[in-house]
This record gives sequence, structure tokens and C-alpha cells, in this order.
Amino acid sequence: MSDPTRPGGSPPEPPRSRGPGRGPASEVVASFLVNGEAVRALVPATRTLLEFLRDELGLTGTKHGCDLGDCGACTVLVDGVPRLACLTLVAELEGAAVTTVEGLAADGRLSPIQDALDRHGAAQCGYCTPGIAVNLTALLAEEPHPDDAAIREVLGSNICRCTGYTRILDAAREVAGGGQ
Amino acid sequence: MLPLPRFAWQAPDTLHGLLDAAARPGARILAGGTDLLPSMKHRLHRPSLLVSARRLPELAAIYEDGDDLCIGAFATLRAVRRHPVVRAELPALADACATVATPTIQAMGTLGGNLCLDTRCAFYNQPEGWRQALGGCLKADGDVCHVARKGAGCYAAHSADTVPVLWLLGARARIAGRRGTREVPVSELYDGADGRRWLRLEPGEVLTHVLVPRRGAPVVHHKVRLRASIDYAALLVAVRREGSGARAVISAVGPAPVEVRAARAEELPDLAHARVKPLGTHVVSTAWRRHMVRVAVRRALDACPVP
Amino acid sequence: MSGAGHRGGGVTDFSTYLGPEDTLAGRPAEGGIVGRSGLASGTGKVDGPPKVTGAAVYTADLRLPRMAHAKLLRSPHAHARILAIDAAEALAMPGVLAVLTGADLPGRHGPIPVARDETALAVDKVRYRGEPVACVAAVDEATAREALARVRVDYEPLPAVFTLDEALDPGSPAIHEHLARKAARTGRSPNVLRRVHQSFGDPDAGFAEADLVMEESYFYPGSTHVPLEPHAALAAPEPGGRLRVWTSTQNPHSVHRTIAAVLGLDPAAVRLTKPEVGGGYGGKCDTFVTELCASALALRLGRPVRLALEREEVFYAHRGRHPTRMRVKMGLKADGRITALELEALANGGAYASYGVVTAYYLGVFGTLPYRLDHYRFTATRVYTNLPPCGPKRGHGAIQPRFAIELHLDRMAHALGLDPAEVRLRNAVEPNTVTVNGLRVTSVGLRECVERVVEASGYRDKRGRLGPGRGVGLAASAYMSGALHPTYANEGPHSMVQVKVDRSGRVTILSGTADIGQGSNHMLATVVAERLGIEPADCTVVEADTDLTPVDLGSYSSRVTFMAGNAALQAAERVRKRLVSAVSAELGCDPADLVLRGRRVFVRDEPDRGVDWRRAIALAEAEAGALGAMGSYRPPRIGNRFRRQSVGPSPAYSFTAQVAEVSVDLETGEVRVEHVWCAHDLGRVLHPEIAAGQIEGCVYMGVGEALLEEQAYRDGLLRAPSLLEYRVPTVHETPAIHPILVESHDPEGPFGAKEVGEGPQLGTVPAIAAAIHDATGAWLTAPPYTPDKVLAALRRRGVR
Ligand SMILES: Cc1cc2nc3c(=O)[nH]c(=O)nc-3n(C[C@H](O)[C@H](O)[C@H](O)COP(=O)(O)OP(=O)(O)OC[C@H]3O[C@@H](n4cnc5c(N)ncnc54)[C@H](O)[C@@H]3O)c2cc1C
Ligand code: SF4
Ligand code: FES
Ligand code: FES
Repeated sequence: MSDPTRPGGSPPEPPRSRGPGRGPASEVVASFLVNGEAVRALVPATRTLLEFLRDELGLTGTKHGCDLGDCGACTVLVDGVPRLACLTLVAELEGAAVTTVEGLAADGRLSPIQDALDRHGAAQCGYCTPGIAVNLTALLAEEPHPDDAAIREVLGSNICRCTGYTRILDAAREVAGGGQ
Repeated sequence: MLPLPRFAWQAPDTLHGLLDAAARPGARILAGGTDLLPSMKHRLHRPSLLVSARRLPELAAIYEDGDDLCIGAFATLRAVRRHPVVRAELPALADACATVATPTIQAMGTLGGNLCLDTRCAFYNQPEGWRQALGGCLKADGDVCHVARKGAGCYAAHSADTVPVLWLLGARARIAGRRGTREVPVSELYDGADGRRWLRLEPGEVLTHVLVPRRGAPVVHHKVRLRASIDYAALLVAVRREGSGARAVISAVGPAPVEVRAARAEELPDLAHARVKPLGTHVVSTAWRRHMVRVAVRRALDACPVP
Repeated sequence: MSGAGHRGGGVTDFSTYLGPEDTLAGRPAEGGIVGRSGLASGTGKVDGPPKVTGAAVYTADLRLPRMAHAKLLRSPHAHARILAIDAAEALAMPGVLAVLTGADLPGRHGPIPVARDETALAVDKVRYRGEPVACVAAVDEATAREALARVRVDYEPLPAVFTLDEALDPGSPAIHEHLARKAARTGRSPNVLRRVHQSFGDPDAGFAEADLVMEESYFYPGSTHVPLEPHAALAAPEPGGRLRVWTSTQNPHSVHRTIAAVLGLDPAAVRLTKPEVGGGYGGKCDTFVTELCASALALRLGRPVRLALEREEVFYAHRGRHPTRMRVKMGLKADGRITALELEALANGGAYASYGVVTAYYLGVFGTLPYRLDHYRFTATRVYTNLPPCGPKRGHGAIQPRFAIELHLDRMAHALGLDPAEVRLRNAVEPNTVTVNGLRVTSVGLRECVERVVEASGYRDKRGRLGPGRGVGLAASAYMSGALHPTYANEGPHSMVQVKVDRSGRVTILSGTADIGQGSNHMLATVVAERLGIEPADCTVVEADTDLTPVDLGSYSSRVTFMAGNAALQAAERVRKRLVSAVSAELGCDPADLVLRGRRVFVRDEPDRGVDWRRAIALAEAEAGALGAMGSYRPPRIGNRFRRQSVGPSPAYSFTAQVAEVSVDLETGEVRVEHVWCAHDLGRVLHPEIAAGQIEGCVYMGVGEALLEEQAYRDGLLRAPSLLEYRVPTVHETPAIHPILVESHDPEGPFGAKEVGEGPQLGTVPAIAAAIHDATGAWLTAPPYTPDKVLAALRRRGVR
């Protein structure tokens, strides 16, 4: 299935219509929740969730590490499931519930995994931390007492260049163990 | 950040609408986007229209259909991996889904997207400016192949983790187009002649389902890679014993997976080694990947129960 | 909750971190720094909560009204003359605001004054594939990126130089013209940045004394830092002609000076701020094109401009580990004593000097630690090639020779049938000595490191006994705690810290240091809180803002705890004196009897006789006015013992010993590092979680360099310009890391502390290499130990 457009050439102009998605649209409208708040986005079809969160909502806790799916720094939850914001189009989010790192703490109190990451000194530079906190939150919501293999498997989605993952694993193990 | 090239987006709510949209010039199916969007950021593809199936949840459903498990092409790898029938009866498929990329990407990427995954090459899946420094290559923007400079073709490697397993399981791909629906064995979906035309889908055709026979001898999936996560295969192997013989499907070595059969199972590793010659499409040394063909086939065979 | 430090085999027994000699006024009798700095009370670092909630602000998170975006056009050629640049078409595009080229910013810069050979954008010539040539500013990123394709550059390609041998060839094309003229005179290669040769004692006599002399070659590959945060800078014009710059840097002071110099501004007209930095490891020490172009564009356009790199571009910015070819010759007595050492190191530095002059020295100077040597000589050469520039990466310049020397020592111990651990102990440098090349050594915890790591790992029981395909290996090392001499000549302190006390009780610490994740903010808070008898949480640290904070030279050479920590301690001590004076007057007691502890100031033997923290502050203000103080640190003037000894000496050295346990698949060559035990003498533990975290990070980075990472090129083009192909270890490749903190109480360190951010990496790769030998019988002299290389080596040895 080769690319029908000429490589290197300029792409044919996309149709300039705007619509709810039943016809081709170069600008799209999508209504969804971000950390529980309703958002109505009117954006170019090309807009990724990472750009939208950071540039339009000012939610800069979700990080840009590669923009290609390789690092996990941009991990958010969509309907409770981890996703890479850099590879998610806003267009695809109609009706979804997005949770970012900013949405993990409730009433100004750190969530259990945030608290554990903090106490274990698991954030050095902190750049991977939002993605990891989000990812571990999804794991723990689904399986409150994951075993070591399950924690490691999930952490395999995120690169941390500072910590050797050691303290992150410790924090996750502590929460998984029920904080005994 | 890497802006996406301009395109329009459309999410039809009927299969008919989906097929109509997919048949427009410049259209492409957007499934999980985990292969397509990075490639578009690298300007490897510039579709003018992305057609989403998100309004067609039936195409993401997984259900038992007689002797088959019918998996909607838009089911995520995570959903496939976790499905009770897959876990109980098709563990090799679960294993193969589990080696794709990362758990997060498995929750986005689809089985259909994996079957349609673009062929990969160390000279191709790279940023635009990097490729321009080389003057591009046959598969994109150029007229030489850096892997085989004298060759006239492209050798980009088929790298989809689930395909060797599905091939050996005898899975069939259900493909819909405006002129109707057809079913082809996964083993006939690929063309090894050229890495630019590896997928036998006509323009506008959409993969809608993957039908996996539930019975049959077990298959073993074996992926060779340098990292246990965030790594495409340096080599992919699936094997299945059949009577005293065995078959292997080997991938990540050329534009299509290669099937090797041995009348006596113990001959399979050497036969595979003689048949399969990886090329320099991967950053990992070609000689080592070649060596690993024999080792991986043998190890997979060792792990494969005698029927 | 399990005590965070009490993980199996990990940090244990905090009570031993306290030596009686530094019982301070105000120290709780039963606890100490460890208890109060967070662990026992269950609180994390001062920067923990913002980082786990996403509130921490990094440079690319900042947004300003009318902010424009810049993108870089990079060279497709490794070496070429720039004949013409035509930006007219790009400038004509709607939304494009400006295009900069080399001619706009011709000022040469570089972190080391003797080798300023870099420009913000290429001038006249490009010297590596990926070098920035033009910078486009536009209203948004997409427009700027599109416009890059419309900037036309005519190049005349030139022959390029990639390898060490090519660079050393006197006939090689000159990468820097000014060196061509000199080379023409001397008949040497025009591509040598620096060659350092030093000899101490009588090496030939030393070799003659030896029972065994061995000479071997080693190669250590290049690798890059891969901070998860790509470099980014934001610049904005300020009223009154001033310029504000926010940037992701580890050396704010140096970048501040460089921006002013290149843009021709008075440094007082530039205010530089470092937001949170998402990882540095040495990779953000230089001044980068991001800072210079964003600044120039902001001034030209009169609006804020952001320049944030893509991931691919971070690999071009590089400044990573120099690929280094080495020859080691060593003499050993039959009992394992080293009689002489000779080292030759050739480092491939890429297209610009960066810190390369320092690299050349570091490659040789640290050869004399951690073992006592009477006879030593080295030659270290750093050359230019048409590749992205190398620079300082964690363990700068010391990693490569330490790899070669440790592995060599292991080989020789093996040849002599000696226990490698015993050989290390036998040669261990003694405290309070001076090395043959003039390094003044004070505290040394090496013996304890070796003993504890051997015991924790079971090294002696395991070595040679784990069966085929499994093995253990040991290595030891030493590293500096800051450089005695600054990177540019000046007589000022290396670090200054201001402590100011508010009537509310809140203490603000102002420091030019750069916390890049290593925890220097928490270190400052700990030191000040400890001295004032309050909690780190009572302190606000304001760092790295040139309008607000006094100068600190930056986060490099593992200098911050030692230098800024001492400056903070001095400032806090001055504040303490004021408090004690005022309170003693109030209580009518001897100032020497007062203790500061638990947010109170009281009489040591009558704890009820005292005042609370706020009252103490009020008394001090009443007595002598505003309460605050400055402190500074300048290294001791130890004095050079010989000429050209200015690069390398440090006020103190850290020591490390580590053991790696590996398994090797003999059929595939795949290596798994299962465990690394790493005992590190950091002088004094100021915060065990941070200290252990630094050890873990060092070992992690070493494991990456041992198994996977190489910044490799094909005809000067990066092979792996992505996080997919430049493989850093994921959690699955990372071993169980067991840090062991060893304290030697340095006489000059703050509370006895030295460094822990770099030293622990030095021994990781040689320990793994030794373990691979134990597992397979093969000495692998060139990491990374990817399966293809390991298998090839095993085959050569006939293992398979
Ligand atoms: C960091 C990273 C690592 C990865 N590692 C691996 C790996 O190890 N192994 C591996 O196999 N993959 C890997 N991938 C690729 C990818 O995640 C998977 O292959 C995934 O299954 C692709 O599915 P998708 O739904 O995301 O496909 P998309 O990206 O949406 O689509 C891929 C292609 O298939 C076409 N397509 C998709 N669905 C259909 C359909 N139903 N009918 C017709 N055409 C269709 C699209 O138009 C596009 O051309 C990796 C990706 C990333 C970013
Ligand atoms: S095999 Fe050759 S033509 Fe195909 S992608 Fe690689 S370099 Fe390009
Ligand atoms: S930024 Fe999305 S995965 Fe790296
Ligand atoms: S804490 Fe720095 S990348 Fe994880």
C-alpha cells in the first residue's frame, strides 16, 4: 500500500470544510472532559492531544520527550487507559474523559502513588515523573495489588534517565503492598 | 514539537461510509496511529485524509464465531491480549501482542494496524532532515537503496510482531472494499518482492476482521530484540510442530515473512538458517541476526510442545 | 510503610552515618542530618511535590504573550563551505518573522577561554552533519518548520575527517583554519586540539622493578546523555533594553556570560533564569544555539522567542562521551603492588572544542587515583573530527581510562593468580597524602568501600564459582569534588550563597547553583536548616536567577555540594552567630552554651531555658537590624607543584568500589546485568535518599554504556537519532542496584560531605567487563557489550 501522494511533493490541499466528523474536515470540533472539566475543542485536524494540553489548556505537566511514541513522557489516561498524548489526535477524543498528571491529586492532596514517589525520592529531574505517575495510577486502579512483574511490565512503557527506576519501583511496590 | 502535515479527518458511522471515505484519493485509515502518526511526523506519508473507525465499535469487537475467533481489525492489542479465549486457546497470539512496543502502545495500537504495519528500515524510519542528508532512498524521496546500493528494489523489513504467529495459526484477513468483501489467509497478505509494495491491499480496501482458527497445534512466538521494551524486532520467529515435521515463519528480515518447512522438526533450525538472510535494514549487526535465525528457531521449537 | 532506606541490600543503618566529631550545637542527641533531612519524618525532597504533580515548570512549559517560535536548519554535510544562503523565499512566507544566519552572530565562544572555536550558527563552513546553519522565527512552530525548506543554502562539500587515525594524519584536511597555519609550520596534523604529556617518578625504573608487566589496548565508545527534556530556551526583551532568558542549563553563570559576549551586551543587561531542568548529566554545560538564537531573535523582533529542540536535535547538540582509544601498560609485583603505570589516550572530540582541553587533562590526571603510584606517565590527545562535538558527560574524561585501567588490573591480578579485591586493597591510596602527580588527597574511604561491597555481594564466594555463563566482577575508582581552578581566570569565590531570614520564621536561601535533578536545592536547605536548627521544609531555595542569586560556577565536576554547600554553611553560621548573640543577651547566658534545635534556641543543659525560633529572630533583628548573611567558598590555595597542573586537582576526592553480577548467554552473546552493589565514599550523607538515588543513576548510566549505548555514525551521519534506536536501558535492562553509603568525613566538606553524582559511574563498566570475563573467560576490551560483539569475541576465544 504505497503512499498515493507523491513523496516529497506538497500534499493535495485537504478539503476546507469543518464538521462533526461525518464528512472530511480540516478543522474539527470535539467535546470531552479533561480532569473532570468539560472542554470543547475547535482545532485543526492535525492537533495532537499533547499540543492541545500544553499550548491551549496550559496543562504543561504532560511532557514532551520525543513526540514519536518512544519515551512515555506524555502519558495521559483516556477513559482510564494510558495513552501517549503525542500520538493521539484531539479529533479522536469526542466524548472521552482525559486525565493528566494535574488531575491525579484530589482536593490538593497527593494521590497514593504521588505521595509514595515523593517520599521515596523517585523524582530526580522529574521530567519522566508525570508520565510514570499517570501510568502507575492506571495500573493500581485496575489491580490494587499488582505483583512485581506487573509493575515492571507497565514501567517498561516509560524511560527514566535519572533514577535507574529503583526508587520508582520502590514507590510502586509500597502502594501495591497496601502501604504496610 | 514535530507538526503533522496537513490533512482532513473523518470518522464515518457506517461501514459503507468508511469504505467510501477510504476510497478517496489520498485517504488513509487511521487506527491506533502508533505507526502512521510517527511516520507522518517524519514526512514519510502525507495523506490528505485520515479515516477513523472510532464510530464503528463493532469493528473493534472480539467474538467467537464457530471454530474461529473473530477479531475486529480495530481491536487494540491490549484487548486481544487480554481476551479470555486468546489467553486460554491462543497463547502465542497473546505473547506476540505483548512484545509489541510497550504496554501503553499496546493499548493504542490495533491488530489491524499491526497487520498493515509499514515495512521498516534504518534508512527510512528517520527524521526528514536526516533522510535528506542522504538524499532519501527508494522507499521515500530518493532513487538509491542504501542497504543494497546496486539493487533496484527496496528491502525494508516486515516487522509486525503478530504476523508470524497469525500466519502459522492459519488466520484469515477479511478485507472490505467498495466492490465487496474478500478473505485471504494472512500468509497470502504479503508480497516479499519489494519493501514498497509489501501489502496486498487494493487502494481503498480496509481490513475489517482477523479470523483465527481456535483449534490446531500450538504455536510459539519468539522475538529477538536488544531491549525487552520499546524495541522492534531484530528477528521474529514463530514455529509450529506438525506431526514429526515443523514449520517456521521468520520475519524482520525482508519485506515479507518467510515460511520454512521441515519434514523432520530437528532439521528446521538449519533449514531456516540456510534460507533466511537478513539484510542491513536494522541497526543490529546482520551477521548476528543471521546467527540468531538458527538459535531462535531451535529455541522456539524446544518450547513448542509435540502435538 | 517500610523504611524507605531499609530495602534489602540497600541503604541500611542510618545511625552509622553520624560521627561523634561533628555533633553540632543543635543536633538531636539520637538523630542527626539523616533524621531531620526528611527520611525519618517521612517527607521527601523540597522539589518532590511539584515534580509528582506536574506543577514543576521547565523551560518549554513557559508561555509569554506574543511568543514567537524558532526552528533550526541543519547541515546535511559533514564538512562543506557555505557559498551562499538565500532566505528571501522563507522570509516572504506569511507568519515568518526573521531568519538568522551565521553572519548575524559571528562571535566565537566556548566554555574554555583558550579554545573558543564555536559560533551560534555556522559561519563560512559547516563542520558536522547536523550543525545549525540558519534559524527561522515564525508565529508558530509549524510555520517556522515549513519555512526551513525555503531557506536555500549552497554548499561546496569538502573532504571530511571522521576517525582518530584520519584526524592524526598530518595530511588530513584542516577542520579549523587557524590550526592549518600552525600545522603547516610544525608538520603535525592540523586537527589536534590538545596533546598533554606528563611524567612523574621514573616509570621505566618502575617497570623494571615489576614481576609482571602487561600492555594492552582498549577502546571506550562515545555515548550521549539523553536528558529526557530536550534543550530549550526562551528569551524576551524587557523594558529598558534588558534581555531576559530562561534556559534549560546546568551552568547558568557561564551561559549568562556567553550570551552577553556573543550578543555584545553588558552582562548586567541580561537576566538569566534556569527553570527546572529535565536532566543534564553534563549535556547542558555548554552554551547552545538555543540560548544564543532565542536571545538574538528576541532582541531583533522585540518579542519573546522560544527555541526548543526536537529529540533528534538533542543528539546533534551532544557534548557526550569522547570515543577514546587507549593503551595501558602496568607493572605489578607478585604480591599485586603496582610499580608503574603508563597510559596513552586518544580521544575523538568532534567538530568543536567544547570542554575538550579539560577532557585531555582529565584523561590523564586521574590515573593516579585511587591507587598509590610512584611512577606514572601519560599522553592524552584530543582531536577534531567532522562529528557533533563531544564534551563533559558524567565522569568526564575519567570514565574511559578508569575502564581501561581497572580491566587491565583485573587481567594482571588474574595472570598472577591474585584476588582482585585484595589487589585493590593493597594499592589503595592512603588518607592525607599527595599523589605522585601532586593531587592532595584528604579523606579516603576506599578500603571500607571495597570491604563492604565484597561482603554485600559475596564476591569472594562467587568469583569463579557461579558456573559457565555467570560471573562477578569488581572495580574501584575515585573522582573529584569540584575543580580547584575555575573555567575562566578570576579571583572570586567559586560559590556564594545568601541566607535571609523573614520575621515569619521562613528562611530564604539564594544561590546561583543549578538543580538539574541531582538534588542541590535540597542539599542547600539541609545544610542551612541543620545549622539553624530548623527543618529543610522551613526553607525556600531561590536558585539560578542572575538578578536574584549570587554567582555559583555551575553544576559540573561534582562541585556543588562541596562548594555551594560550604558557602551555604558559612552564611548560615553567620546567621547563627547573630541569633546566638541576641538570645544570649536576652537570657543572660554564655553564647557558647546555646543550642539551635527543633526551631528553638536554648541553653544546652537547660532545654526549658530558651526562646522559640521567631522570638530568636525578633531578638536578633532588634539587636542589630536585618537578619541575613552571605557566605562564600573558594578552594584552598594548595599550590601547584609543577607547571600546567591547573586542570584536575580538587579539594577532595570521592571513592567507590562496586561489584557487578552478570549472566551471559553463551549461545547468543546476550548479557544480563543482574545486580550491581556499589559502595561509595561520599564523605558524609546529607540525605540518604538523594545520595542513594545518585548512585543508582550512575550505575544505571554505566549499565547503558556497558550494554547498549553508542553514539555511532555512518559517514558522519548519526546512526541512531532517536530514542527508539539509541537504546537507553528500560526498567527491564536495569539491574537490581544496591547502593552502600560510606562516610569518611572530609575535613573540608560541608559537614564532611564530598560528592556522589558522578564518581559511582566510573567503575560500573569495568566491573561488568570483569564479570563477563568471570562468566566466559573472555576479556572484552571495547564496550558496549551488545550480543553481536560478545558472541564474536566468544567465538574468537573458542567458547562457542
Ligand atoms: C515506540 C514504538 C515501538 C513500536 N514497536 C513495535 C514492535 O515492537 N512491534 C510491532 O509490531 N509494532 C511496533 N510498533 C508499531 C505499532 O505500534 C504497532 O504495529 C501497532 O499494532 C500498529 O497499529 P495501529 O493501530 O497503531 O496502526 P496505525 O498507525 O493506525 O496504522 C498503521 C498502518 O496501517 C494502516 N491501517 C491500519 N488499520 C487498517 C485497516 N484496518 N485496514 C487497512 N489499513 C489499515 C494505516 O493506514 C497505516 O498505514 C511500535 C510503535 C512505536 C511508536
Ligand atoms: S531497503 Fe533500501 S530502499 Fe528500502 S527503505 Fe531501506 S534504504 Fe530505502
Ligand atoms: S513524547 Fe510522547 S512518547 Fe515521547
Ligand atoms: S527523574 Fe529524570 S528522567 Fe526520570
